Amino acid sequence: MLKVIIDYIEKSWLLIVSAFVFGLLLAFTNSAWQGRIEQNKTGKLNNLMSALIADANFNLVLPQAQVNLGKGKMAKTDVYQASSDGQSAGFCFKAEGTGFADKIELVIAVDSSFEKVLGYSVLSSNETPGFGDQIINDFFRMQFIGAPVAQLNLEKKGDDKNIDQEIIAISGATVSSNAVVNIFNNYLQQVKELLKQKGIVQ
Amino acid sequence: MAANTMTVKGALVGGLWTEIPVLRLILGMCPTLAVTAAVKPALTMGLSVLFVLFCSNIVVSLMRNLLKPHLRILMFTLTIATFVTIADLFLRAFMPQMSEVLGPYVPLIIVNCIIIARAEACASKNGMLVSAVDAISMGIGFTIVLCFLASIREVLATGTIFDIPVMWKSFAPWAAMRLPVGAFITLGLMLGTVNLLSGKKS
Repeated sequence: MLKVIIDYIEKSWLLIVSAFVFGLLLAFTNSAWQGRIEQNKTGKLNNLMSALIADANFNLVLPQAQVNLGKGKMAKTDVYQASSDGQSAGFCFKAEGTGFADKIELVIAVDSSFEKVLGYSVLSSNETPGFGDQIINDFFRMQFIGAPVAQLNLEKKGDDKNIDQEIIAISGATVSSNAVVNIFNNYLQQVKELLKQKGIVQ
Repeated sequence: MAANTMTVKGALVGGLWTEIPVLRLILGMCPTLAVTAAVKPALTMGLSVLFVLFCSNIVVSLMRNLLKPHLRILMFTLTIATFVTIADLFLRAFMPQMSEVLGPYVPLIIVNCIIIARAEACASKNGMLVSAVDAISMGIGFTIVLCFLASIREVLATGTIFDIPVMWKSFAPWAAMRLPVGAFITLGLMLGTVNLLSGKKS
């Protein structure tokens, strides 16, 4: 037994030591730059929210709202209320889900009564270039503008100009399309319910 | 482990002409075709590859006498992945817009054949000086080719270079040069020209 362990260590000590050293190097680098990366993300989030609901001020109304993503996964999101000329102009929040290659992060905007979607923008995604990354393109995004806050369904064929619960998938990127629809389905109802509980929406 | 097989002069000339990546070794095709629609992302990609190549060549060269044959590729990948992650974190922290433009192609440097090929062919068999010179010349060679290809595409696709207009006012941009077809045609012509200049026959 001892001989097996010694043999194992003799063969793999370099790999073990290197993995430890490189891990430390990455941990150090990450801790040094993570603050700046988060700051960049926050700046981008503010820009995206302003693009979705123009000429509005954003106030945090529901910090760290817990959303169940299914399969035991929970996520936290901050919900912002947009106000323009003293009137509520809608809500914005960050939403995430698993895409084809990596996590997809969206910023979703919903109207002031939380009945209709105002649109979404992609905060981050590493979807396949030429296929899944088309979730940022108008063909797909425009289908969500005006869509009801209800269970959305992904269809492979249909009229993408018809704004309803049916979302037409991007050809060749069904998994990425489905991921975006799932993100909407996970977040819309739960965020609405949390806002109702707080008395922010009816 | 094999003794030194390259000279500093050989390493310098190799990367810049006789073994110039992309045009002679036909390595690193993925970023060459994907990020050369404009010069800025091409330059950033080239410098990122140069950084990773330099660091990985030095580390592999330092550990070359400790490498076991069955762990060789694993150690190369571990080393390369570490430095690619650092390059990715740097871009996300200090050049967030460029990081978004390059998207998944920065993490994909891990599977860039130039880096693993130089670790195998040069760094694992040569001392630190030769490995460092090889990395610098290969990295600069790769960057020059990427920037040259990107310059042709950007000028013809938009009439600008580094976003500065360089063509006459009535110039009609060739939109196709921004698309993959533009990358394939330009690269093909460049490969043909290099073969013509070097007298290479089929």
